[in-house]
Amino acid sequence: MRVARATLVAGRELRAERAQPDGLAAAVGLVAILVFTESLLVGPAVAAAPQIAAALLWIALALATILAVTRSFDRELEDDALEALLALPDGRDALYAGKVMAATVLLLIVAAVGTGLAVFLLDLDVALPGHLVLCTVVGAVALPSLVTLYVAISLRLRARALLIPLLALPALLPQLICVSAGVTAAIAGDAGASLAWCALLFAAALASAVAGLTIGPAAIE
Amino acid sequence: MITTYPQAIRGPRVLPYLAGASILAGAGALFMALAWSPADANQGDLVRIMYVHVPAAWLAYLSFVVVFLASVAWLWGRWPLADAIAVASAEIGVMFTGLALALGSIWAKPTWGVWWTWEPRLITTAVMFAMYAGYLILRSLSSDFDRRATRSAVVGAIAVLNVPIVHLSVTWMNALHQLPSVLRPGPPALDGRMLSTLVVCVIALTIFYAYCMVARVGIERARSARA
Repeated sequence: MRVARATLVAGRELRAERAQPDGLAAAVGLVAILVFTESLLVGPAVAAAPQIAAALLWIALALATILAVTRSFDRELEDDALEALLALPDGRDALYAGKVMAATVLLLIVAAVGTGLAVFLLDLDVALPGHLVLCTVVGAVALPSLVTLYVAISLRLRARALLIPLLALPALLPQLICVSAGVTAAIAGDAGASLAWCALLFAAALASAVAGLTIGPAAIE
Repeated sequence: MITTYPQAIRGPRVLPYLAGASILAGAGALFMALAWSPADANQGDLVRIMYVHVPAAWLAYLSFVVVFLASVAWLWGRWPLADAIAVASAEIGVMFTGLALALGSIWAKPTWGVWWTWEPRLITTAVMFAMYAGYLILRSLSSDFDRRATRSAVVGAIAVLNVPIVHLSVTWMNALHQLPSVLRPGPPALDGRMLSTLVVCVIALTIFYAYCMVARVGIERARSARA
């Protein structure tokens, strides 16, 4: 029942995003700009180094997740929809889980676009494309639960522009380290290392999802 | 809401005893650290920084674990005392993390040749410091007691993940920082007199932590009663 409600919230969220894709546009725009400017800022040779390319892309994707989730909650506030959603049975759980699910779908799109752009523009020679896709998918699943939690906490605070990155980015470090290392190994052709980092990333994603689902609903006001 | 606190935590009765114990233990620790403990064969007297640096790091860990437990207690039962303990421990933890970072930097200059460098233990500790500073900023932004307590409890429950990351970072990655000498599998890798001095310093600063906690919880309790 709860899963059904969460799926409903996610579906509603994605329909709203399709009708007015400002969250997705902001997230894709941020990632694209960073990939475009990366080679200018650090030089083409350094930008194409697997470690640099992977780390910068995933830092951009973490920031893009924050943008998309913040926009999603802003939409609820602008439409005065939050109170109505919270008044429903299991409203908090469904709202939190639904937001996470919708953010995951959005991040999968942003990650696909960002990774494609990075491979094309930086002329990356990807040795293990399958491993790259696997790391990207697990990475996209790993970020939204904690970001949604911290955005929910800071929703009505005047200093949220400072607080969300300050709280969320350090909490995402394990995920960012794992996904960067996994993507680096996939580009470089180290299948064992890529899968090992991917497994660690999956464990971090699972831990953050459990933590988020346990205490996340309490954070929504 | 009527706020009640167990008798044991009421500041005025416990505080003088903790203050006395803290001064006595501190004097003993100071004597052992400066006079009784031998100088290191390689680092000489520089090693004595360890007697504050290591206890400060230990107290940072302890403080943040206490924040975690108190945060979970608040989310579970909405007890005002749990929130008071969480904020008290977070403030003291940030202070000790800052002290550990500052002393580590002072120690690093003569041994590593730099005040600060890319090093997993340094970076993860700085990240932990930033997260709990964020926790305190978050608390300062809200005047509604329940909302503030809930928001900060959520952060306090998640941020504790930093503690094992900081402690194990030196074993997970290539590190300049030495590996754990005491909290590790097998016997401690320290000279006997150095180890006993370190233990006394840890005990002395832990008593000081308890003193600070009781005093700060008392302040928070008075503040809540006024509100």
